[in-house]
Parts: sequence; C-alpha cells; structure tokens
Amino acid sequence: MTPLEDDLKQALKRQEPAADFTARVLARCAAAELSSKRRFFWSAPVWRMGLAAAAVLLMLVGGSVYQRHEHEVKGMAAKRQLLLAMRIAGTKLQEVQQRVKESEQVEQ
Amino acid sequence: MGALLAATTSIAATREGQAALPAFATAVDLHKAMVYSIAWQFLRDRVAADELAQDVFLQLHKNWARIESPAHMVFWLRKVATHRAIDAARKRKAHAETSLEETDEPTVLERVHDSFLSSYLQRMVASLPEKLRGVIVLRYQEEMELEEIAKVLDMNVSTVKTQISRALDLLRGKVSRRLGKGTGQ
Repeated sequence: MTPLEDDLKQALKRQEPAADFTARVLARCAAAELSSKRRFFWSAPVWRMGLAAAAVLLMLVGGSVYQRHEHEVKGMAAKRQLLLAMRIAGTKLQEVQQRVKESEQVEQ
Repeated sequence: MGALLAATTSIAATREGQAALPAFATAVDLHKAMVYSIAWQFLRDRVAADELAQDVFLQLHKNWARIESPAHMVFWLRKVATHRAIDAARKRKAHAETSLEETDEPTVLERVHDSFLSSYLQRMVASLPEKLRGVIVLRYQEEMELEEIAKVLDMNVSTVKTQISRALDLLRGKVSRRLGKGTGQ
C-alpha cells in the first residue's frame, strides 16, 4: 500500500448520518407499508369477488321483486275481469228472471 | 411501526440454514454509516446524501424478503447505494461540475495538517469521474477486494484494476503537484 493509498483510507473514513436517521427511515417504511396495504385492500381479489357477488345478488333480488309485482298486476286484472263477468252474469240473470215473471203473469 | 419491526423480525426468524438476518431496524442502524458515506462521497451534500441513503433503505425494506444473509445484505446495500449515488452525481453534474484542474488550491495551513490533507483528498476524489470515484470509494472507504468491487459495479476485475490505477495516477499527480508531499510514491 502506497502513502497515497494510506491517505485515501484516512480521508475516506465512514461518516455517521444524523442521529434520527433510523427513526426517519422506519417512519418512511411504515408509511409506505400502510399505503401499499390500502392499495392492496381495494384491489384485492376478495373485494372484486365480493362486488361481483353483490351485483349478482342485486340482480336476483330485483328479478324476484319484479316477478312478484308482475304476478300481483296479473292477479288484479284477473280479479277485475272476474268481477266484470259476474256483474254481466248478474244482469243477464235479472233479465231472465224478469222475463219469466212476465210470461207467468200473461199465462194467469 | 411495531408491526413493521415484528414483521421484519419474523422474516429473519424463518430463514433456515443461513446466518440469521437482523431485524430491519437493526440492519439500518448497522449499515447507515456505510450507505450514508457512499452517498456523501458522491454528492458532498448532507441533505442529499441523507435522502439518498434513506431511499436505499426504503428499497431494502421493499426487497427484504429477497435478502438471503447478512453478507448478501451488505453486498446489496453497497451495490444499490453506489449505483444510485453514481446516477445522482451524474444528474447533479449538469448543475455544477468540479474538475481536477478547477479544484481550489490548498492553503498553507492545509499543507500543515493531515485533516486538511484528508479534506483536500476528499475534494480530489469528488472531482473524479463517477465510475472512477465509485471504484475508489469502494476500495478505500469500504476496503473491498477487487473481485467484490467488480461484482458491485458489474465490471471485470481487470477493468477495476485499470480504473483504480487510473484514478490513483490522477490523484497522485494532483496531490504531489499541489502539496509537494511524498504521498505520490
């Protein structure tokens, strides 16, 4: 080793960074870890699967509610038709009764 | 932060057949002077060197699972710190370049005291081209073998030898000319 090399070793001795260096590094690492966890949380497969399941469930429930509503509408229409038919039948029956009474009176 | 420390400790504990890795916080404490000094030799700016050293440890934290042993960690830190420092020094070079010839003459007092000689040599090293500076820093600050330097800087051993010799010639010429001291022999 030459004198210059000795001098270089002496000159290039390691230096210590600021006293709070480790604490600052750990704080940055913790912040980076937290941020990557948040990103992972929202992009995690479990979340994507959950959203898909919720969409399917919503479609099933919506379909069921719609079917029930359709059923009720059809039922109400059928009821209305039945009442109308009964009303017509009642009127016809009254007419027949009336004619029977009239013909009986003519015979007497 | 407790979770972070616990996680890094548990990673260390799960490795088998290799020297146990220290916890991340301990690793930072153990190697901060090495990483900071490498950055300092390239940037000669406390704030910039501190920031670069922090970035290196942040990168180490992200790659913690890939670190195989304490020796691998030291190699990894030296490699990442040196490459980052070379890049940072090149970027800063555009702003202010100090060549060997432009470096200030030492004063009479500097010739008297070794501490001034050290300071002068540091400035001389800082004025070397980045690759040569990297070789010199790894050789004389980190006291690494030529083979190790070659691995860190992705060079042949013969190239490392040539670069050290070239850097020493440059420094020797400058120092003996300016200080008139027998260091150049």
